[in-house]
Amino acid sequence: MINLRNISIQNKLVLIQVLTSVFVLAIFFTGFIMIDIKDYKERKVKSIQSIAKVLAANNVSTIQFQDNEAAKDILSELQNVAPDIVRAVITDTDGNTFAQFSKTKADSSWFDLGNKTFAFEGRHLYVTNPIVNAENELAGHVYIDCELSELEDMKSKKFGIAGISLVVALGCGFLIAFIIQTYVSKRLLFLVEKMKEASETNNYRLVIKDDGKDEIGILIKVYNDLMYQVNESQQRKDEFIGIASHELKTPLTSIKGYIELLNEMETRQPQQIFIQKTKESTAKLEHLIADLLDVSRINSGQLQLNIEEFKMDELIDESIDSISAGIRTDHTIIRNGTFNDLTVKGDRQRIEQVLINLLSNAVKYSPPRSDIFVNSTIKDEQLIVEIKDFGNGIPEEDKEKIFERFYRARNTSVHISGFGLGLYICSDIIKRHNGKIWVESGAKGSSFFFSLPTIKKSIPI
Amino acid sequence: MHRRHFLLILLSFFAHKYALSQDEGGEASLKAAFIYNFTKYIEWEGADNSGDFIIGIVGSSSISGPLEKIAQTNNVKGRRILIRYYNSADAIGFSHILFIPRNQSSSLPVILEKTAKGTLTVSEEPGYAKMGSAFNFIIKNDKLKFEANLNAIYAANVKVSSQLLKLAILID
Repeated sequence: MINLRNISIQNKLVLIQVLTSVFVLAIFFTGFIMIDIKDYKERKVKSIQSIAKVLAANNVSTIQFQDNEAAKDILSELQNVAPDIVRAVITDTDGNTFAQFSKTKADSSWFDLGNKTFAFEGRHLYVTNPIVNAENELAGHVYIDCELSELEDMKSKKFGIAGISLVVALGCGFLIAFIIQTYVSKRLLFLVEKMKEASETNNYRLVIKDDGKDEIGILIKVYNDLMYQVNESQQRKDEFIGIASHELKTPLTSIKGYIELLNEMETRQPQQIFIQKTKESTAKLEHLIADLLDVSRINSGQLQLNIEEFKMDELIDESIDSISAGIRTDHTIIRNGTFNDLTVKGDRQRIEQVLINLLSNAVKYSPPRSDIFVNSTIKDEQLIVEIKDFGNGIPEEDKEKIFERFYRARNTSVHISGFGLGLYICSDIIKRHNGKIWVESGAKGSSFFFSLPTIKKSIPI
Repeated sequence: MHRRHFLLILLSFFAHKYALSQDEGGEASLKAAFIYNFTKYIEWEGADNSGDFIIGIVGSSSISGPLEKIAQTNNVKGRRILIRYYNSADAIGFSHILFIPRNQSSSLPVILEKTAKGTLTVSEEPGYAKMGSAFNFIIKNDKLKFEANLNAIYAANVKVSSQLLKLAILID
């Protein structure tokens, strides 16, 4: 069974059109042919019955004077009057054949009409008429067997015309449906394409133009309105992030300053410990606010890169050191391979941000006492850095989404704090460097890769 | 399935059935029936149509028996049928149909001379139709047929239906 839902609207339209035309025409033609056949049969019965009546009247005397030769002569003239009469018989009152005319001698059987005056049997029409004399006495019967050859001709001709018309109608149906469907399915598919585009690029400012006033036109209009709203709220959110991060940063700066002062002034315990705890939390808060600020800058296009030449190996080592210094767990970060002191062009600070981010993620998601590998390779004039952990890995469906804003992996047993902005910022930074960032993940952990063009290939920004 | 009956008609049967039986009685009764049937196709325009319908027979004939039988049970357009016998040509009176049996003592012209206008003559001698008898029975191919003399019919002032004439062998 074909599920109608799975047929495309285009095919549905064609199907509706074609089925409707075929159905209507089939009913139409069948009706007309039936009426034609009925008319033809009625006419035939009338004409053969009148011939039978004439024969009956003309054969009263032949029976009275027992002149079967004369009767046969009369019957023979039928050939000129009605050529489709194949047999005519005159019987006397006892049912014995008095005279007969037959085109086909072989057949001597006769269809029993019973009490009827006519009957259709197969391709034949049988008609009978009593022979009554002037005194109203029954003298015999006339029987006529008429072959309906015309009917067969008529049938085949009409069905032929009907068949041809059906084929033509089918063709026209297809054509019309094809023309009409472009006004329906094409627009729908266009809408779908635009929606996909909006979803992929996060550009909700696209307005779809459609002059139609039908349901699809309404759908497109509603979509445009909806996208306008989405765009508005997106913009408001971005504005909010921008304002919030700026407004949060100012008091945080002063908190930081005073804590620094306190740190210098206070040497007693446990106050000194409290100050250190506050400093750590403030640093975290500062980091979160910095992320928010970055996102806000990315959204408003204000993220500026400070392009300089630097050595990638140095940067990687520094990043590992700074992470290692901050880790209080038992993870070991192991470096594999070097770039042979290769220099790249880019924003050193931003690339460091990426490295730190990826490394701290690896630390966060790694089980205790497991190692973290940092591999460096060069391939097709691209520097590729891999940061490999032995964590739980990332589900297949999340692999693309983790680089999106505010996305946080579900089903993680580890509680991770943060906004879910780190990878989004990393991805943006790497893209601005004409590089790529991606993840490979399995049950035995995840590998985050990013690539940067070598100095030969890198485009000055 | 419809019940279908097919009646078998034996074609060979009629060939014998309608052939003339050889015995004299069969021929006589057939002639009597023909004479009676003639009345159904003939209108006597110049004769009295109110009284009895008279069939005359000159001399004696074997058809008189069958004809009497017909006269008892039938009529001609509501009129009684009377059979009259004339012994000689001189005795012939008015009759609507006058049957002239074969082997007459008087010759046909003599009889015809005595026949009134409005009388239809019916004979049974080969050649009599040509000689002036209106209808004349003959045997052809073992079957009883009749000749018709249109002049004699016209002279008798009767109107004969074409239904009858088409069965007759026409003689000038």
